[in-house]
Amino acid sequence: MMELLQAVQQIGQDLLGPAWLPVWTVAKILVIVVPIMLTVAYLTLAERKVIGFMQIRIGPNRVGPYGLLQPLADGVKLLFKEIIIPTGANKALFVAAPVLTLVPALAAWAVVPFDVGMAVSNANAGLLYILAMTSLGVYGIIIAGWASNSKYAFLGALRSAAQIVSYEIAMGFALVCVLMASQSMNLGDIVQGQQSKAGLFGWYFIPLFPMFLVYLISGVAETNRAPFDVAEGESEIVAGFHVEYSGMTFALFFLAEYANMILIAALTSIMFLGGWLPPFDVAPLNMIPGLFWLLAKMSVILFLFLWFRATFPRYRYDQLMRLGWKVFIPLTLVWVAVVGAWMQTPFWLW
Amino acid sequence: MEMIKNFFKTFLLLELVKGMALTGRYFFARKITVQFPEEKTPQGFRFRGLHAQRRYASGEERCIGCKLCEAICPAMAINIEIAERADGTRRTTRYDIDLTKCIFCGFCEESCPVDAIVETRVLEYHGEKRGDLYYTKTMLLANGDKLEEQIAGDRAVDAKYR
Amino acid sequence: MISFEALVFYLFAALTVFAALRVITVRNPVYAALFLVLAFFSMAGIWMLLEAEFLAVTLVLVYVGAVMVLFLFVVMMLDVDLAQLREGFWRWFPFGAVIAAIMVFEMVMVLGARQTSETGAGLTRHAADYSNTKELGRLIYTDYVYPFELAAVLLLVAIVAAIALTLRRRKGVKSQDVAKQVAARREDNIRIVQMPAEKQMPVTGDQESEKA
Repeated sequence: MMELLQAVQQIGQDLLGPAWLPVWTVAKILVIVVPIMLTVAYLTLAERKVIGFMQIRIGPNRVGPYGLLQPLADGVKLLFKEIIIPTGANKALFVAAPVLTLVPALAAWAVVPFDVGMAVSNANAGLLYILAMTSLGVYGIIIAGWASNSKYAFLGALRSAAQIVSYEIAMGFALVCVLMASQSMNLGDIVQGQQSKAGLFGWYFIPLFPMFLVYLISGVAETNRAPFDVAEGESEIVAGFHVEYSGMTFALFFLAEYANMILIAALTSIMFLGGWLPPFDVAPLNMIPGLFWLLAKMSVILFLFLWFRATFPRYRYDQLMRLGWKVFIPLTLVWVAVVGAWMQTPFWLW
Repeated sequence: MEMIKNFFKTFLLLELVKGMALTGRYFFARKITVQFPEEKTPQGFRFRGLHAQRRYASGEERCIGCKLCEAICPAMAINIEIAERADGTRRTTRYDIDLTKCIFCGFCEESCPVDAIVETRVLEYHGEKRGDLYYTKTMLLANGDKLEEQIAGDRAVDAKYR
Repeated sequence: MISFEALVFYLFAALTVFAALRVITVRNPVYAALFLVLAFFSMAGIWMLLEAEFLAVTLVLVYVGAVMVLFLFVVMMLDVDLAQLREGFWRWFPFGAVIAAIMVFEMVMVLGARQTSETGAGLTRHAADYSNTKELGRLIYTDYVYPFELAAVLLLVAIVAAIALTLRRRKGVKSQDVAKQVAARREDNIRIVQMPAEKQMPVTGDQESEKA
């Protein structure tokens, strides 16, 4: 795999000279973005299927065998729908908002490693970059809510902004524990740090179990997914920040939400579940390429996301804030101290 | 002791896991969805669907224009006009049911002294334009002619309960 | 020919100046806040050029990701009256102009004294594995440990003070205690009463008459 890549790179360099670098980068970006978009499409189908199954239904099954062409049909439908811009809306910002939501969701993928050295950019401050990018997603939502010139949209935007800002702190502290354990902010190094003879037991979700839970739950809140979907809250504020959006502009919000979900799943697998490492470093398991393991772990996390949505009722807004500020932040602070103390003792095995 | 137990219960999210176990079990449960156009749920003989006007075996229409159905219709969906026919009987010149108003309560059927207006088992019908669901006398009679066998059969089964 | 790096620098610099100017000239306060975000972004870009990636990302994370969100929050909810804001502009103008002049003078003095040489000449290049974050951490916890700790304590005091100022316990508020609700058990709230099955009441006159 690596040899093949190097060979391709060599040929390209000989062929194009200095122009090769941008071409190579664009190729790498496409290799990541296109599968993400496809995954998003099929994640929507998976969501409807999984939730349907949990509600003893069978979900979409009319378009194509087992409903496999449903995302295509949805996409075409959204593409041909009219984009309605409400009167009194701020046109430029109204159109810019969906783009501003999607861009950070995709940009964060730049530092996500899929295998040893397989990342668009092997940045040293990768973890910080991820935090910064995920915190930018809120702008699209706020601007969408404000530019729509609608009460419900504005309420949804305020709710979501407050929620994202609050949960980001807990999320950040959970990540602080990870980088204390791994002593690096490079995502590739974080995965390497989890490699040990103990296999599965060497991953950070064992010593940092509370942080793993906090990160996962904050991740659900951060992506505005059920049970933390107060920003949409269809029973209270219709659809929140994207009430006024239709057609492709709505589709972009949709894409961003799911791309964020996949991103959170990838980050959780990388930081707590050993990324591309196999659960045990023994013969049949370590033959399988690392990419497969990463995707398998991501699928499990994504399934959890859907499972949560099928199980839990929506949090009330004040309870959501309470959970973020009064439970998660103290818990993470305590655990930062615990990990710090633990690392000074000989009982720290990671 | 109780406090410690509670503490662990909350922090291990035991209740959430219980809830997820429930939905997880249902994930594998047999699905009860009815695949509608291919599969259909059983239909009772008293099913109240599309309306029809019946005729006697002789081919004479049953309706005598008494307007009881028009009077009782809670949605005011029925419009009737009457006139004397050449043979001196009272007949309707107009008998319209607006199905966009109809609530399918079956009162018209109950009130009819001659079993002329009935509701059939047909539920799969549609209109593509607004006026398509405005059924006139000829349409209702055509319905009755087409479905007479089933209508008569259902009435016969129901007769002993009346 | 100017190098690629210089080109990027001038691009970001021009963007920063443009955005900063728009912040104070644009009429809509929401636009102003958004232009400030743009200014922060381009500043982060410049810092990135200076190999200060930690500071650059932190700028985006803290200022763009948190502070400006709260700013936007407030600005969007306020009903800003522009006419009222512009009232007394000329009255305060001399005062503002003097302050601006002093600041310009100060900045010229500071920058002129230190950086007489060409842009970037005083900077050292670092190897690819150089970690700005690590260096910064080392400096903060060794050479500058006291100022750093002081700043931290100052912030802590500010947090405690902010909470102390806004926290007031009102009597008689019926808010729910979630922990208590979660801990509630069936045995605490339900009492099962055992009693003999009801006997037929003796028939009274009233019921007699009803039957009749």
